Amino acid sequence: MLVFIIRLFIFNKSLKFFNGHKIRISAKVSQEPSKFSNSQKFNLEGFNFYLPKYPQVNYGDKVVVEGTVEDGKVINAKLIDLIKNENVLLGFRKKIISFYQSSLPQPYSSLVAGIILGYKSEQTSIFWNQLRKTGTMHVVVASGMNVIFVAGFLMSIFLTFFSRRKSALLVLIGVWIYAFISGFEAPIVRSSIMFSIALVAQLFGRLSFSINALFLSVLVMLVIKPAWIYDLGFILSFTATASLMLFTKKVDKFLKYIPKYIKTDLKTTLAAQIGVAPILFVTFGEFNLLSPLVNTLILWAVPLIMIIGSLGGLVGLIIPSLGKLILYLSYPLTWYFVSIVGIFS
Amino acid sequence: MRIWKIVYMLELLVIASLVLAFFSFNNRKFKLISCDAGQGNATLALYGNTQILIDGGPDAKVLDCLGSYMPYWDNTLELVILTHPDKDHFGGLIDVFQRYEILNLLKSKATNSSQDYQVLENIVGGKGINTLYAVDGLDLRLGKIYLDILNPRGLDEGIIEEKDLNNSSVVLVLRFGEFKALLTGDVEIEGINRLAFEGKIPDVDFLQVPHHGSKNNITSGLLRLSSPEVAVISVGENSYGHPNKEVLDLLKTYNIGKVFITIQDKDVVIESSGASWWVKK
Repeated sequence: MLVFIIRLFIFNKSLKFFNGHKIRISAKVSQEPSKFSNSQKFNLEGFNFYLPKYPQVNYGDKVVVEGTVEDGKVINAKLIDLIKNENVLLGFRKKIISFYQSSLPQPYSSLVAGIILGYKSEQTSIFWNQLRKTGTMHVVVASGMNVIFVAGFLMSIFLTFFSRRKSALLVLIGVWIYAFISGFEAPIVRSSIMFSIALVAQLFGRLSFSINALFLSVLVMLVIKPAWIYDLGFILSFTATASLMLFTKKVDKFLKYIPKYIKTDLKTTLAAQIGVAPILFVTFGEFNLLSPLVNTLILWAVPLIMIIGSLGGLVGLIIPSLGKLILYLSYPLTWYFVSIVGIFS
Repeated sequence: MRIWKIVYMLELLVIASLVLAFFSFNNRKFKLISCDAGQGNATLALYGNTQILIDGGPDAKVLDCLGSYMPYWDNTLELVILTHPDKDHFGGLIDVFQRYEILNLLKSKATNSSQDYQVLENIVGGKGINTLYAVDGLDLRLGKIYLDILNPRGLDEGIIEEKDLNNSSVVLVLRFGEFKALLTGDVEIEGINRLAFEGKIPDVDFLQVPHHGSKNNITSGLLRLSSPEVAVISVGENSYGHPNKEVLDLLKTYNIGKVFITIQDKDVVIESSGASWWVKK
């Protein structure tokens, strides 16, 4: 806790800039830049930098940027230097994403790339707006659920070859590699930390309480990168997880007469919305009352898209034509997803 | 038990993909789509396995249009035409060229020194896309789709000044059976008058109104000679006042059956069976 307070203190100190201050930052871009019609945006040290769309900056690249501070914002941002990151894992991420893009049309390819790798599509697209309107954006940005899937998948593979202890360690490594590949998005990092805590606790034969693990991961994340406190994905991920833990059982009691096969998705959505809805309303000024319904209708398709999409992507890197065939199987699911979101927006 | 569940699921998905494939592959009809691609121009012509994209709008929005009208497994555009190198016509082509396989590119010799255009040129060069230069008199045929190039004329070759980019636009007549469309890029009054004077403007069914309905890009001569039944203005949110009110009034006086504006009407789809044609939306 003490470390945390000191870190936040240092963070606040470091943010003292006045209007007209020229700043030059050289740093690694630690998240995938958002793309707009004419520009791209990324965050360095708590400042948003808007740059022309080309040359394209990717997650992991090193950039040198300049700009003038005005009212806590950076204006006249300029790209001075761009050093592409040649990391093998990031190359792997790029290859899979471009394989999706050349195998499936829009918006289906963005949907698959978003669900699996947290890839952010162009925000000018119709689909992006529809996701915002229906409150389903969280599905398309990589979410904590991905980590659970990756962990479960790896666990089932490793357990057939290794002892429990060794598998757990390997899964831990695998999960963090995935967190890296998917761009260290806040929800994924949160989920990875929570998962790691749970796994370590289990190895040492201790019970872990999830709500404690949640708060511990908040602390760890903010110590590592205080700027996360301004990240909407970070805030939403924590409120959603916390309200899932607190409200799911209570919501369950209200839904006595709902058939079982839609109840699971409905109750999770409703429970998460209790915490998330007010935040969405304050930030975007709009909230779709039908959002829980839309979520219930589409959520079942997400794990299937995830499985088929990652399988197709991996196979496609070796045998492109076979990978494509596998990806085509995800088309009915993504088509359903896009149609539902389209109808309700 | 579990394995059977997976097998059933797979079967279901295979059937669903095939059903969707059947519906998205519509080889009986020709389609001409003026895409709602924002402030810019993007027109897609397709028949069976042949797809032709004329300009790509300013940004990636054009991908939505391609995605909704092309069969989902088809990743190849047989021909892309860039009428002239202005951002609102080539911007989206960067995204298209990154994702799709392009067999042929048809453009004028005009270039643009902006960084964005260099990005496009680099992709075209890097992928080794076959590039053809448009010139008056060039006729092309792709399957049952015929293209007659009217502009630029041969004299325009060589360096074209920036202010004259619009008049170097590729202007073409696209024919399918009895259906004829005049696609004009951003050609301006001088260019239109010259085409009219040389007797090159044919009577057509469909007119893409030049330059997003800007004031200086339409003449009564063009409307009289081409006498279209349908006119489309490709336009998005903009600060230029497109489409201009005088242009809309002029279109009204020439009694054009239907005038569509992409920002209001979204994608405008014309279908044709060869013998007849109709507006789907």
